[in-house]
Amino acid sequence: MLQDIIDLRRIETIYEGEKIPVIYDINLKIKSGEFVAIIGPNGAGKTTLLETINGLLDYISGEGFVFRKEIKKNKSQIRKEIGYLIQNFEIDPLAPFLCKDIVMSGRTGKIGTFRFTTKKDWDKIWYSMGLVGMIDFANRPIGKLSGGEFQKILIARALAQQPRLLLLDEPFSNLDYASKIQIETLLNRIHEKYKITIVMVSHDLNFVPVGCNRIIVMDKGRIIMDDKKEKILHSNKINDIFKNGGRK
Amino acid sequence: MIELPLLFLIPSIIAAVLVGFVCSTMGTFVVRLNLSSIGYAMSHAAFAGAAFGLMITIDSTITALFFAFGTALIIGPLAEKARLQSNIIIGFLFSIMIALAFIFLNYVPGEAAKGSALRILWGSLFSVDYNDLLLLLFLSFLILAFVFVFYKELLSVMFNRKLAESSGVNTRLFFFAVLFFTGFAVSLSLKLVGGLLVFALIINPTSSAYQFFYDFKKIMIFSPIIGIISCLVGFYLSLLTDFPIGASIVIVSAIFFAIAIIVSPKRKKGNGKRNILKNQI
Ligand SMILES: Nc1ncnc2c1ncn2[C@@H]1O[C@H](COP(=O)(O)OP(=O)(O)OP(=O)(O)O)[C@@H](O)[C@H]1O
Ligand SMILES: [Mg+2]
Repeated sequence: MLQDIIDLRRIETIYEGEKIPVIYDINLKIKSGEFVAIIGPNGAGKTTLLETINGLLDYISGEGFVFRKEIKKNKSQIRKEIGYLIQNFEIDPLAPFLCKDIVMSGRTGKIGTFRFTTKKDWDKIWYSMGLVGMIDFANRPIGKLSGGEFQKILIARALAQQPRLLLLDEPFSNLDYASKIQIETLLNRIHEKYKITIVMVSHDLNFVPVGCNRIIVMDKGRIIMDDKKEKILHSNKINDIFKNGGRK
Repeated sequence: MIELPLLFLIPSIIAAVLVGFVCSTMGTFVVRLNLSSIGYAMSHAAFAGAAFGLMITIDSTITALFFAFGTALIIGPLAEKARLQSNIIIGFLFSIMIALAFIFLNYVPGEAAKGSALRILWGSLFSVDYNDLLLLLFLSFLILAFVFVFYKELLSVMFNRKLAESSGVNTRLFFFAVLFFTGFAVSLSLKLVGGLLVFALIINPTSSAYQFFYDFKKIMIFSPIIGIISCLVGFYLSLLTDFPIGASIVIVSAIFFAIAIIVSPKRKKGNGKRNILKNQI
């Protein structure tokens, strides 16, 4: 039997200074090796859910486990195994960092405190830049990339960590059609080859990668559907939520 | 120009180099983490602390450290969570600290001590004693070790705190470490550069280095170099002209910054391509 990599029970998460939880009654189990898409309209709580999973946000009730470890108590430990792609990240154009250093920084936790980045680490870093096709950009200042190029560097950053679990918040935003296909193929490939568990947030029903077989639908802070991809895509309820069929 | 035997100057020269090093190294983090306002508040707290020390006649470096760390502990958590806007921190704390400093200075006992009270305002060549020198040396090693051992963590935090946090770095620790070292640096630099100007030495050299490089490692190397050169040139200028040393160091570092802005490849338009190439090397 496959192990539950994520196990959330009756989770509620609230933002500091707010009164009402943004997501509530979240029950979610994701097994090792699954490729799951979370969809839902703006403000549904998708980002909040991802950040509850890697402990950036604390849940106020319920229990949450990742890799069978209680999230709150093992934050930094589980984060070393989770690659996270932030949504709509803005970078100041004068930021003094080279792309390769940004990709390297993804491995910081993995390498560990009091350890230096070794040749072996750099191999992984170059490899993941290669996966997204960004090797040529290694020595470019990060602030001088286009939105899509930057997105790919951030994906490489998450991959450089060799995570067991990938949390991707809108990985296809900012990407042109060719790049979308490229990243989709990449996700399918690493999912198959390395058996990485992938949880991906998307707006676009038309762009659920082939390898993804389960879709979770969120609306107004709850999970309202959770089923096989085909079932979800053909259900009527979906059309009600995404009035225009998922197209933005 | 005052004629002095070189030997007599050596401790002050070493102090100037170390002050340049500690301040402008911490500056790279302060600027990138947007901690300028809290750093500014801390340096004036250190100033008030030093004045307090003079008033109750104990070593002003120690009281400066207490005041600076106290400020870091109180407003650090507020600034971290962005619960206080930075202009409020500046406006409120800056004025309070300066007011306190002036009150303390007013009560400094003894005529001779009045002179040293003025010195902590704008610094002095010869107020650095042996203990200060040792402390500066100690802090320099501490900062070097900190940067060397935690380089990858620091780089990660400087790029983006949330992302660093998400890959398993305890960013809170580094945030407060930076505050702590900055407080330490301004407190120890106070006697040489003066309480009103010390913060310029945190900001100016780093800002100059930021004009030239896109590579954080290079900024980490060149910011202290520019800081040290500013201090040495300022030192010399002060000997030459009898300017207060703090003032002349700050003027020199400001001139460097102005030059950096003018010749900065980052700010030039039209030859952007070439600059990217330059930065790749
Ligand atoms: N920092 C915050 N403080 C308070 N409320 C927040 C904060 N961030 C998000 N929210 C609220 O939480 C709700 C869910 O936000 P969340 O970012 O999880 O939505 P989402 O599903 O990711 O939306 P999108 O598709 O726009 O990314 C929103 O109603 C939003 O207003
Ligand atoms: Mg979101």
